[in-house]
Amino acid sequence: MSFGSTSKILWVDLTAGALRIEEFDEDFYRLYPGGKALAGYLVLRETPAHTDPLGPENVFVLAVGLLTGSPLATATRFTAAARSPLTGAYGESEAGGFWGPELKQAGFDAIVVKGRAPAPVYLWIHDGEAEIKNAAHLWGVLPDAAQAIIREEVSSEKARVLQIGAGGENLVRFAGLTNELRHFNARNGMGAVMGSKNLKAVAVRGTTRYLQISHTPKLLAELGRRLAKQAQENPISWDLHMRGTPALVEGLNASGMLPTHNFHTGVFEGADRINSDAYAKEILTDRRSCFACAVRCKREVAVDGRVSEYGGPEYEAVAAFGSLCGNDDLQVIAKANELCNQYTLDVISTGATIAFAMECFERGLIDLETTGGLDLRFGNTSAMLRAVEWIAHRQGFGNLLAEGSRRAAEVIGGEAPHFAMQVKGQELAMHDPRGKANVGVGYAVSEIGADHLVSIHDTLLQNPNSLQFQGAKALGITQAFPARSLNAEKMQQYLICENWVSLEKAIGYCYFGPTPRSFIQVDDVIASVQLATGWDVTLDELLRMGERATNLARVFNIREGFSRQDDTLPERLFEPIEGGPLMGAALSHAEFEAALTTLYQLKGWDPITTIPDRQRLDELQIGWAADLLGAAA
Amino acid sequence: MILRLGGHLSFYAPQKASELELEIPARIPLAEVLQRLHVPADEVALVVINGEQVELKDAYISDQDRVQLFPPIGGGNGSDRISLDGA
Repeated sequence: MSFGSTSKILWVDLTAGALRIEEFDEDFYRLYPGGKALAGYLVLRETPAHTDPLGPENVFVLAVGLLTGSPLATATRFTAAARSPLTGAYGESEAGGFWGPELKQAGFDAIVVKGRAPAPVYLWIHDGEAEIKNAAHLWGVLPDAAQAIIREEVSSEKARVLQIGAGGENLVRFAGLTNELRHFNARNGMGAVMGSKNLKAVAVRGTTRYLQISHTPKLLAELGRRLAKQAQENPISWDLHMRGTPALVEGLNASGMLPTHNFHTGVFEGADRINSDAYAKEILTDRRSCFACAVRCKREVAVDGRVSEYGGPEYEAVAAFGSLCGNDDLQVIAKANELCNQYTLDVISTGATIAFAMECFERGLIDLETTGGLDLRFGNTSAMLRAVEWIAHRQGFGNLLAEGSRRAAEVIGGEAPHFAMQVKGQELAMHDPRGKANVGVGYAVSEIGADHLVSIHDTLLQNPNSLQFQGAKALGITQAFPARSLNAEKMQQYLICENWVSLEKAIGYCYFGPTPRSFIQVDDVIASVQLATGWDVTLDELLRMGERATNLARVFNIREGFSRQDDTLPERLFEPIEGGPLMGAALSHAEFEAALTTLYQLKGWDPITTIPDRQRLDELQIGWAADLLGAAA
Repeated sequence: MILRLGGHLSFYAPQKASELELEIPARIPLAEVLQRLHVPADEVALVVINGEQVELKDAYISDQDRVQLFPPIGGGNGSDRISLDGA
């Protein structure tokens, strides 16, 4: 029977130059349906403990979401996963675009890459077949040129190319991957893992349509048409199309939580010059889409007087290279974003690491001599752009920043670690937990280090009559809480949302698809899985899929020695925010720790070690993961 | 008065405009203006009048005011209270 998957996983041993295909059955997929869940399974099962993240033994996985490639708006995502060179923990990053759907059409749900090629290579995968090809001539070539060369070599204009740029080649610890030049698995340094394996790119082309492998194709297509219509009629998805994520700048600044000057304050005096109105006026040229997505939220922009081949900055880039670095010049933000995208550097970690260096510079912990002449004062745009270049090429002071803010702070010494806004080594996204507390919980407990797409932001659920809260009620959320509160009851809400967001990553929906962030209602998410697979899934089973994926990642981290003390936040967030409407707001250690204890108990984890109970892992049907922990579980 | 509608609030406004210039003959409750414009109060998470955060239920406006409204996604009010009245 068709159940929305190809049943096939491609195994690649780059050291031996060997390829094989393995088939998995439907029962397997019902536990590990794709994306984060399938990647989490493969990474945990296959990676030896204490593997060097940049060594040949690290296992690099690309896994497509269960629904990815279906005609459902926003179901475009796939996961890149491995032990992270940035955090040393389980590493994972999702992207949309076109590559994930194409891999599914080419007949594979995942690729597992082991070993290290003796010289640069790329993979060429087409309709059930795969080959390893020479990429020596592509190393050091910019992604747009590399993509064109690969398409020519494989004689397919329609080949979708996932690749690394200079950041990945030079093992920058926060380098990511790009597909179609505009979509990024940016976080956690997955591009450096590819670079360490001498794997430049994975090109795919396939012709089997998703509907051909789905259980109830006619009704699935009908649901797809209904969701596409909703995407255009729903206020939230309409706004994502019209203004996109940069619309956040104005509201977050007015709320006093726009990360500014390395999280020193939450109001930026140049906010009006980098908000979505300015964006539309100054740099926006067009809007684009991911595969089959009616939301069409991607931005096209002009950089240096021409339309960029690398897409436009999202909110995260606008804030990271804007307010966080004290820069109010949108042209410079667009340029920094383009540089990161062509070098495949994570815009969040790059901007945040530079902002960290700027604070160190302004406080005299580093000087012109240390930085090799980079005058890293807040707002110095030319120094900021040069720093991006230097990081990508590990040139001069950029070589230190390419290690990420945590490692750089250790080398700089003194007070520097206090200014590194990171968790587990990964830099905070552009959201301040002093204004929305559950975001801080997510930053702290997330297995991949600080990230903003872990649960649902508090502000969405603080008014019980809002569209968002009304949508979330179907998840079992009954009570509204103030955005800044942290208490035991709120942790239940956090956990439901965390499992839901984790599920999105397993089945391939974008964060901007399902409620409460956006327009696809809970019943339609359930229906989409039922129609694609023929499984009689309930909401409860879907939430358990999400929870299972999180537990696999947690077990990976426990095995690497992570514990509760790693689930923490930068001390600055416990200090009063300066200025603006939130002036004086700070997280409280006592409240925060009490909330975490409650959360671990709800998760069925030991509140001191965060080790999942064997019984809970058995309930999640991953008792085998407890065996990996031996007596600890 | 100038009314700025952040995020998806402009979806509800005439011509889906993100900024409206309205003539307000007398000091009136902001909620009344929203009702007339068909902007649902429950989607308003943050009200800023002339740079100051205000609760929607307490918000009165006059002709010279500059009013910014934000939905929960881009705003949230960072309040330490639950808002039951849309403010």
